[in-house]
Amino acid sequence: MRLRSVAGLFPLQLFLLGFALLPAALLVGEAVASSGGASAWWALLGTPLDRAAITDSLVQGALSALFATALGYPVGVLLGRWQFPGRSLAIAFLPVPFLLPSLLVLLGLADLVGPTGLLVGALPGVAWLDSGIPGILLVNVLFNAPIVALLTATGVRNSPAEQEEAAELLGAPPGRVYREVWGPLSLLGAAAGALLTFLFSALSFAAPLIVCGPRCFTIEDRVYFLVQVLAEPHAAALLALWAVTLFAVPTVLYGFLLRSMRRRGGHRRAAPRPLSRGRWRVVPVLAAGGALFGAELLLLGTILYRAVVPASGPVGASWGKLFGASVSSRLGISTGQVLLNTFLFASLAAGIVLLLAIAAGLAYRRAPRAAAATENLLFLPLLVSPVLLAFSLATFWRPLLGGANSVWVLIVVSQATAALPLSVPPVLQALTRLSRPATEAAATLGARPLAAYFDVELPRALRGLGSGALLALAIGLGEFTATYFLYLPRFTTLPVELYLLQGARQFSLLPAVGGLLLVVSLLAFLGVELGGRWIVR
Amino acid sequence: MSGSSLRVERLVAAWGKSPVLRDISFEVRAGETLVILGPNGSGKSTLLRCIAGLETPVGGRIWLGEEELTRLPTFRRGVGLVSQEPSLFLHRTVAENIAYGPELRGLSREETDARIRELATRLGFSGLLDRRPGQLSGGEQARVALARSLAASPRALLLDEPFAAIDPAFRSGLRAEFRSVLKDRELPVIHVTHDREEGLFLADRLLLLFDGEVHAVGSPQELFRTPRTVRWARFLGYNVLSVAHELHAVLPSDLSVVPPGTGRLRGKVTAFGLLGSTAGVSVRLPDGTLVEVHLPASRNTIPVGEEVGLEWSRSTPVTEETTREPPS
Repeated sequence: MRLRSVAGLFPLQLFLLGFALLPAALLVGEAVASSGGASAWWALLGTPLDRAAITDSLVQGALSALFATALGYPVGVLLGRWQFPGRSLAIAFLPVPFLLPSLLVLLGLADLVGPTGLLVGALPGVAWLDSGIPGILLVNVLFNAPIVALLTATGVRNSPAEQEEAAELLGAPPGRVYREVWGPLSLLGAAAGALLTFLFSALSFAAPLIVCGPRCFTIEDRVYFLVQVLAEPHAAALLALWAVTLFAVPTVLYGFLLRSMRRRGGHRRAAPRPLSRGRWRVVPVLAAGGALFGAELLLLGTILYRAVVPASGPVGASWGKLFGASVSSRLGISTGQVLLNTFLFASLAAGIVLLLAIAAGLAYRRAPRAAAATENLLFLPLLVSPVLLAFSLATFWRPLLGGANSVWVLIVVSQATAALPLSVPPVLQALTRLSRPATEAAATLGARPLAAYFDVELPRALRGLGSGALLALAIGLGEFTATYFLYLPRFTTLPVELYLLQGARQFSLLPAVGGLLLVVSLLAFLGVELGGRWIVR
Repeated sequence: MSGSSLRVERLVAAWGKSPVLRDISFEVRAGETLVILGPNGSGKSTLLRCIAGLETPVGGRIWLGEEELTRLPTFRRGVGLVSQEPSLFLHRTVAENIAYGPELRGLSREETDARIRELATRLGFSGLLDRRPGQLSGGEQARVALARSLAASPRALLLDEPFAAIDPAFRSGLRAEFRSVLKDRELPVIHVTHDREEGLFLADRLLLLFDGEVHAVGSPQELFRTPRTVRWARFLGYNVLSVAHELHAVLPSDLSVVPPGTGRLRGKVTAFGLLGSTAGVSVRLPDGTLVEVHLPASRNTIPVGEEVGLEWSRSTPVTEETTREPPS
């Protein structure tokens, strides 16, 4: 194996090692060393609040994964297997809540079932969904069920069409075709989605913090609390080590499932079939689809509605106040500047992710086996949670980079790191699917490997690049946990402003900030989607 | 155009421990087309890929004129390759595809445009220059792929079954066009195929490649008229008949069906059908050999199961080739 063939992986590896693994390892290592070794780590289980945080993380993660899979799997089957009017629109719309900031989903939930929620007037019985574990689970499910559905749909679509046709021609009934051909792949997708939901929910920060408070704290919330409120960084680092220990296996398993799905896919993908062919079997699937899409539309519609028509006060009053001097003086930054920060940081993070993905893609084309072997590294940020990431960046990189002025760099780095596990795989997958002959043709025409990559391969993977960039931008725009840990007033972003205004009990302004965040996210989404299509055209 | 010959010396290639090419040597002169004919899996494409630098041979050397290519990367070899899958760049128009090679060589816009126009006119697709590859038929894609390779001014050209995916009705016209265009250029050309008609039509010289070994080299006429081994004869469409412990290669068109009891061999008709300008009869001999006979199309149907005699006007004695020891 020539070193040059895999050199494209080095920037990605260096980035992950330098910003995610090394600082976190040093931080945890120092905490373990200065607290008396592994016994201190184990002794943490004797602290009721720490033990409760671990238990809550596991319970919230497991229940969220269970409910999100129950809802997401049938929707994924519906989208992957059947053709119906509006299917493309549904596929495009489905991930929108996942791409939105988690705080926005929380705000939508409060607007729907909170004390002044739109639904509470008509259905008082739903008010219990606003708080406690039910509220957290509802947010986690709404946030993650689309991901389970999309991964399931990918599994279904990857199923080998030739095998399914052969089974049907030999007389296999639908149940048998499901069991032997497309079912296992759909279950692989759903299992990957369930694991991702488990990880995201168990390491959730905003939902337990806002919906429930300390009695539902996850490890993330507790680590934040230990560092920022109680000033106990060593205890925080030891608890973070518990998170790493507990979630290492699900993270590795998630990567393994994704690779299995890719490996077991057919040469020819199964085309979706007319919905009528499924007859009664599709009823539960349609019901699940209706429930998920209905909930998503209700959530987004409510946020937009409340942004225009507040629960109290005249229409539009909160917008004037949001951009006024009182908010500026309270936050130390104007909302206009916050908007600019949000865009700038997210765009820079997306740019970094895209550059790293393009460089790594070169190695994937030149030495696919060697490159795939290092793929597990990509999932490292799922393990090094946002709070641990921000905590370690602040501890090790902030002094090195020049203190307070470097905070914006750390915010960008943390947003890029958080985006890597989800944004790089679509790019690599698009590049992996490209056939070799066009590249070889370019070489026989005189193109050097780098020229062939940029002239022939990357242009054919533009859709994957677009998806990766969109995901990175969306994650950057909505990233709250690490950004909130690191921010200084002049580096505030919209999700942080939303949380700060809530903390300052400026409830009348929240719908306007939420609406602004939603519009910004949707504009970014549309911009990248339309821009990508224009380039591909 | 340059006039270097392409020389392959004792080339050896392998997939892991399985040998694919064994001790291959030949030379193709500038302006000459060498057709490598062999069944699927005989190593034809691997041989071309080694010459293009897309596979690394285990041993042997490749020369273009006085320059050794063996260790050069593909992009430095100046060897064009047109494959069965045209591999046109889908995001570029036809004109942009053809311009790719000249652009890499730093040719001016005017020179590039002139080259595109000349090739498009010569190969008959001037009206398609603004189209995307997805809008072209298989034959048009093959023409564009050839034009793209020639526009890059290769010093040698390799054609890997370029007509395999083309509708048979258009194949003969296309290969005539290819031959005519390539004859104008002083390039060594290697064309590989498993289609014997295509190989015989296009070749200045023919090389038979079986199991990764050179079986025979010569002019198409020489190789076709005088097969020496059973395998060689069968691959070129001969029946191999055993008469008095001697093996004879007989072309289906040299055989005739005669009344049972007459003729040198007898057998039973297993199928009869029209092949176009001739009628085809399959006759099973008592030893199980299936013999193919081509008769005039006007000939009356011979019922399946009927006993017939076989006679022939011309035959060539052939021998079983020496069996190679299997690789350890």
